[in-house]
Amino acid sequence: MARTGPRPLPLLAAVTAGTLLVAGCGSDGTGPAADSASAEPVQGGSLTYATDVEPISFDIHVSQQDVTGAIQRNVFDSLVHQDAKGGFQPWLASSWEIGPDLKSYTFRLRDGVKFTDGTPFDAEAVKVNFDRIVAKETKSQYAAGLLGPYTGTEVIDPHTVKVSFSEPFAPFLQAASTAYLGFYSPKAIKENGAKLGAGGPADVGTGPFVFTGYTKGQSAQFSRNPDYNWAPADAAHQGPAHLDKLTIRFLTEDSVRVGALTSGQVQVADPIPPANVRTVQSDPKLKLLSTDAPGANYALVLNTAKAPLDDPQVRRAVQRGIDLDTDIKSVYFDVYKRAWSPISPTTPDYDRSLENSWPYDKAAAEKALDAAGWTEKDAAGYRTKNGQRLTLEWPLPPAEYVREQRETLGQAIQADLKKIGIEVTRPRLDIGTYIKNVYGGQEHIADYSWARFDPDVLRLYFNSASQPAKGGQNATFYQDQQLDEWTNTGKSTFDKAVRKDVYSKTQQRAVDLSLIVPLYVRTAVVGHSTRVHGLTADPNTWLNFHDAWLGR
Amino acid sequence: MKTPDLTVPALLRGTARRLAGALAVLIGAATVAFAALQLIPGDPVTVMLGPGTAATPEVKAQIRAQYGLDQPVLVQYLHYLGRLATGDLGESYQQQRPVADLIGDQLAPTVELALAAMFLALVSALLAALATAGRRGPARSAGSLAELLAVSSPSYWIGILLLTAFSFQLRIFPVAGDQDLSALVLPAVTLALPLTGVLAQVLREGLETALGQPFTLTARSRGLAPVAVLLRHALRHAAASALTLTGWLTGSLLGGAVLVESVFGRPGIGALSLQGTTSKDMPLVVGLVLLSALVFVTISIAVDLLYLAIDPRLRKR
Repeated sequence: MARTGPRPLPLLAAVTAGTLLVAGCGSDGTGPAADSASAEPVQGGSLTYATDVEPISFDIHVSQQDVTGAIQRNVFDSLVHQDAKGGFQPWLASSWEIGPDLKSYTFRLRDGVKFTDGTPFDAEAVKVNFDRIVAKETKSQYAAGLLGPYTGTEVIDPHTVKVSFSEPFAPFLQAASTAYLGFYSPKAIKENGAKLGAGGPADVGTGPFVFTGYTKGQSAQFSRNPDYNWAPADAAHQGPAHLDKLTIRFLTEDSVRVGALTSGQVQVADPIPPANVRTVQSDPKLKLLSTDAPGANYALVLNTAKAPLDDPQVRRAVQRGIDLDTDIKSVYFDVYKRAWSPISPTTPDYDRSLENSWPYDKAAAEKALDAAGWTEKDAAGYRTKNGQRLTLEWPLPPAEYVREQRETLGQAIQADLKKIGIEVTRPRLDIGTYIKNVYGGQEHIADYSWARFDPDVLRLYFNSASQPAKGGQNATFYQDQQLDEWTNTGKSTFDKAVRKDVYSKTQQRAVDLSLIVPLYVRTAVVGHSTRVHGLTADPNTWLNFHDAWLGR
Repeated sequence: MKTPDLTVPALLRGTARRLAGALAVLIGAATVAFAALQLIPGDPVTVMLGPGTAATPEVKAQIRAQYGLDQPVLVQYLHYLGRLATGDLGESYQQQRPVADLIGDQLAPTVELALAAMFLALVSALLAALATAGRRGPARSAGSLAELLAVSSPSYWIGILLLTAFSFQLRIFPVAGDQDLSALVLPAVTLALPLTGVLAQVLREGLETALGQPFTLTARSRGLAPVAVLLRHALRHAAASALTLTGWLTGSLLGGAVLVESVFGRPGIGALSLQGTTSKDMPLVVGLVLLSALVFVTISIAVDLLYLAIDPRLRKR
């Protein structure tokens, strides 16, 4: 297969929920690009947007790919909208009530919303869609998980629905705000239910754009939905999109995507790799938009259940013995920022106090290793204890799963740790063995990130119930009553003060116990022509084309 | 051309033998593909979903049951062969569509690209070989050097180079797609260049060998012009070895197309193969393996039959 550098694999990359992936896109996530606020938007025009990953399935209820959600966000709306601060705003639901036990959510639906095939959006449509997501034959890889302990949807009247769960389920509003719980026209589901993954006109939603055509390997085409009048209240404008047409080109090669942008053949290119950022910056006809991705930063996750990392002193040495400022600057040219917390600064309840709290400190790292008894050195210069060398295994998955030049960063980390006498080995494993070993707790170190606009991602990482063998992500394998309690509390409350408190404490404790070494904040870097205005990103860093327009 | 020994029954027998061989190759390819997928370490559903999936064990079990992956390997293999026998390639795990439909939808742009590249390669190799065969001096050396460069440059690199020059800088051709013929030019040239290099070398060598044969001298002594000797006599000899190669190269175009299509963002089998392999979409990968086996088998039969037309000596057997 073509190896083309640090780009995500379709599947992997995508896992929204997770992933290790480059989401994509984005502006500052808070509003229109600065220059466009002053000018009067131009109606019409056709915009071409080049991206690197092509959806495997366009079916939002099936796909676990980030790119599927990002593209289909233009076609499908959700019940609620999550704003840049993490709060929830009305969208297709004008209001909602949450049952006191968090087991039911009753939504009052907005009047006058229509699918682009003319079918009205009503309570029945909500039921049909949610029931489709959990149906076995849908084989949902992601959306069904978002519905959690779903038991059913009850149509109370044509504009009121009650969604019920078998146990308290606080994350539901966030889930309901994602494109994966968007709504297909019930008519489209009935007539084309099995073919929705193929994209094109069969995918009928209520969104600002209509999916008019798809050519695999090349492009997807969209046209404006002229009846659209139900954007969330914080959108820059109400009513239909400014653009007549939107074309998404799939250009997997970084150099080709960047070349298409610099030669004016596309107006937006996403992502721009760090090595190409300067090319774009120096071109007066182009601009960059950088957005920090939400969720868990790319980090080294230390397996606390495996010696010698069961010793907190050794973990501390790893955490403090890596010269991250230098390493990240040399690999990513100031495009990606060094991370300080397990979660990124754009994630709600990010704890700013962690910044600069654990800088590179070679002496402290060496002292910690001395204290842990790793005092002897062997011929190769590595520390030993009782004749055993201090070796940590950090496996590499197959090359196609490695992106963002993480392998290069890994070499810098290996070199740093060698200086304090720790040997890091990086055997290349096939993907089956990799998953088996890492999820089975056989390795010392794992590395991943997890995109999600919710600090509940901390529960995935540090709650002892979140076992990798059961679909969880806690590869620290650490069992800690406080971490469990705090992350469970955060999951089951909407009280902002409580959430802020427990999530701050969780971030601090995870760093204090050296369970994790946050490396860098994943940043979506998009390049666009100066003719493009009003381009915004939602909290997932996905581009929103509803407010975008092309200047003359 | 007289064809005294080429009887209809003999031709039929030959064809039947070749078809039986082809069938054996296809079954072999299907079996190898199946075995290879069994040998991928790890649970197939886990591998398919990749690291970083949020799928619960229940969802995985469900997917496993739906694709029959929970059955014994032998049962799976027999089911698989049975389905293939009825022409059913199965359903893609990831795209949830029949594999035959997926491949069918994507075949045309790849065939178009492969044919265009093959045509370009044949014409330019023929011209280059005829122009340089039997000559010495700078033209010959320049030709050889160009061929060597074309053969040894990865098509991926050639593609980026051509794009940078003709699309990003000169802006003559669009970056990609299959909108119109202008979008076909760069990918076809990219794919054709290495083929041209190989073919031109083989053709020229064949021509030069033939030109050294006694029959060339005879023809020349009959008063035939050198060009006529080259075209009428030497070329026929040189064509045989080039033909074998062309058959093989046409098959390998499929592989080359995968790279070229992804560089240029063209639709086709390339995009499909990339998705199929990166997402470990086994039914899709098996379908693509069978497709390439079918292409190779068909081409080698066609080449065998073409030999008969070119070389009368072969018909006696």
